[in-house]
Amino acid sequence: MTTRGSKKWASPAIAVLMASTMLLSACSSKEDTASGNAGSGSPEPATLKVEVFDRGNTPSGYTISDSYLTRLVQERFGKPNNIDVEFVPVPRSEEIQKLNVLMASKSEVPDIVFTYDSGTFNRYAEQGGLTDLTELIDEYAPNLKKFLGEDTLAYGQYNGKQFALPGRRLVLGKYAGYVRQDWLDKLGLPAPTNTEELYTTLKAFKEQDPGNTGGKVIPFGVSLAAAQYEPLIWSFIKPLTDEQRYTLTQQLGSSDYPALLPGFEDALKFMNKLYNEGLMSKDFGLDKDKKQLWQSLQNGLVGFYTEDAGEPYFTWNDFYENLQTNVPGASITPVDTFTNAAGEHAKPAYAPNAMYVMIPKSSSNAVAALKYLDWMASDTNLFDIQFGVENENYTLENGVPVVKPDATSEITDRLYNFGDIAVIVNGKFAGDDAKNEAAYIAQTPEKFQADMKKSVEISNVDTIQPVRFGHPIEAEAKYGTALADKFQEIIVKMTMIKPEQFESTYDSMIKDYMASGGQAILDERTAAYKEMTSK
Amino acid sequence: MKAVKNTTYLRRNWQLYALLMLPVIYFLIFKYGPMYGVQIAFKEFNFFEGIAGSEWVGLDIFREVFQNNDFFKALRNTLLLNLLDLIISFPAPLILAIMLYELRIIWFKKFAQTILYVPHFISWVIIGGIVLQVFGTESGFINNLLTGMGLDAIPFLSNKHYWLITYLLVGVWQSAGWGTILYLAALTGINKELFEAAEVDGAGRFKKIFHISLPGIKTTIATLLIINLGNMISIGFDRPFIVGNVAVRDYSEVLSTFVYRVGIESGQISLATAVGLFQALVGLIFLLGANYASKKLADESIL
Repeated sequence: MTTRGSKKWASPAIAVLMASTMLLSACSSKEDTASGNAGSGSPEPATLKVEVFDRGNTPSGYTISDSYLTRLVQERFGKPNNIDVEFVPVPRSEEIQKLNVLMASKSEVPDIVFTYDSGTFNRYAEQGGLTDLTELIDEYAPNLKKFLGEDTLAYGQYNGKQFALPGRRLVLGKYAGYVRQDWLDKLGLPAPTNTEELYTTLKAFKEQDPGNTGGKVIPFGVSLAAAQYEPLIWSFIKPLTDEQRYTLTQQLGSSDYPALLPGFEDALKFMNKLYNEGLMSKDFGLDKDKKQLWQSLQNGLVGFYTEDAGEPYFTWNDFYENLQTNVPGASITPVDTFTNAAGEHAKPAYAPNAMYVMIPKSSSNAVAALKYLDWMASDTNLFDIQFGVENENYTLENGVPVVKPDATSEITDRLYNFGDIAVIVNGKFAGDDAKNEAAYIAQTPEKFQADMKKSVEISNVDTIQPVRFGHPIEAEAKYGTALADKFQEIIVKMTMIKPEQFESTYDSMIKDYMASGGQAILDERTAAYKEMTSK
Repeated sequence: MKAVKNTTYLRRNWQLYALLMLPVIYFLIFKYGPMYGVQIAFKEFNFFEGIAGSEWVGLDIFREVFQNNDFFKALRNTLLLNLLDLIISFPAPLILAIMLYELRIIWFKKFAQTILYVPHFISWVIIGGIVLQVFGTESGFINNLLTGMGLDAIPFLSNKHYWLITYLLVGVWQSAGWGTILYLAALTGINKELFEAAEVDGAGRFKKIFHISLPGIKTTIATLLIINLGNMISIGFDRPFIVGNVAVRDYSEVLSTFVYRVGIESGQISLATAVGLFQALVGLIFLLGANYASKKLADESIL
């Protein structure tokens, strides 16, 4: 019985062995040919492959790789330079995974790729997958260099070498607060201007329920998105020395996190107090994508919240319109509420960089790729990609392009993915800072523009700039994602816990945070700071 | 003598073997082929060098995994959730199947079965939305009822102990109906005469269930139990990821979500592979152990 059994199994086992050796040899031979191809660049006029995000919103009549904008690129850049520009679509939602696959395949990868994720950029640079552009950019892309500027370009350097061209971010302010003006009026309260006044206001909202919500009022709307908790937390951070700023800040992913900064515990204590007094959204820990917050907002249950500046006024979400339909007479006012110990309205701002635009090392078209990006930064090319045709897509008012509200969809469709084509910039570039801001505000409906302007102003008050070293902190690349999750866990738990358990839980959570990589980051940053200051 | 017999046998039946080759090839390509990548667990994986070009690092990755507190938490939770599932969710389809089998009105039985199967076909993402609508503290239907009656809201989703219960119940709701199929098939296989004979002997409903139905599907139960035990260490991704949340990560972080968060999201492919390999090894041990135990105890085994 047993002998027969083993015989039965013997031949499949051999087959498996043979098949796996076959696979092994197949794989290795494939890699050989791939690397062989990559080395031999062809001098002939070639195809330039450019990545483009596919958001699945291509209007009918166009395809993602053949639209008004791709034709414009081909007409103005491709033809004169005898280059065929081919756009390679990558689904927006799985951008990084797809990019990883493309990068690993070498032969398939576009000549221009990009990502917002600094971790991905650092990994590519560290593993030697990107073209060093330090000298090439001077030679082939002087206009681009001027357009981006030194500050922005610094973000694309890895150990002193220019491995990416970071897009330039035009709107640097992040957050503003919003309060229900009609509720304030009803209670005869002034708009809160500091943390203490805000607390009184929230209390009043809770106790007097000016919106007649039947006890469902959420005085302070919070979700697990950064826009809802960052303004509060950063306003509790105590004044820092330079050394503290550099060593104690933790950059996890693309943002700076305050977990180790003095004052973080006080911020959590305040959130804990708000939560336990019933002044805050109860399920904010479940609300990763603001969905619940938005629902409560539109149903007129929320009294105050913080958000990306201007977000309520953009038409794409119709938030304000919906609120006013659901609750007649509802109105919101932008406010600057959270104050720090020095009385400043401290809040984080964006770094001046946007997407990391990269040229893979395996690309044989690095020069053409740079020329393309330089072309985009030259003359009116960028402007035309972003704004379209004068008097069809926009009109000029005092030199500021204003989108024509009555343009037909055929005309607006031309620019449906301008942001994904114009990768060297984030935001609409109208010429200079003042015009950019004016153009940014002009995107919202006229009736909201005064509030929009105020929001933008608020977001630029007392901003906290991100802290960056000249080289990436390896521990941050390694532990960043896990620690960012831990950070959210700390916020949620410390907010929801009973006040009497606060101290002990806080200590153990921070200990866990440190053990999970926080300490490693701290050590590396301390060493990097020493190195930086000793120079 | 025997050799000759084998060749004639093969000549006569070679088509059968040829047909079998298709699934064998499938397994070789899609199940054994990817095992080539297992070596990533012993390498510092570099995207641009590929699998073959990456540097060997011995057991460094495993050392890193076993020094990680979160890994052990995820391992504990995987075993905990699976064990609770085994206690709560494993008997549920069995009980349901026996109840359905006892029904005599055919149209009602069919109707009930259909209703019970439906949740199985709903995507977890949608179930996640339903769970929020039903169990949420602020917007949930149950808590709205409770607060409406002047009672305190129950944090079904944000307190880790309540969450465990929610997680288990949602699992039963989703899978119990579908799980009845195998049991129902086995129950139909039982000789009807046994029931009639028992009735003649004056056996009641429960006597029949305990002495005919259950022994009749013993093999099926043992098989499913073995499969379940073999899967103790592996856990689906969707359910803990979607039903879980930040507030209850103490319990909701399991190996599959750990691999996703730490391995895939932060690009630590080597670490993800190492955890996967570890899971496969422990799973193999569980499976063999359960099979051995079942052989000894009930004389039923599937290997």
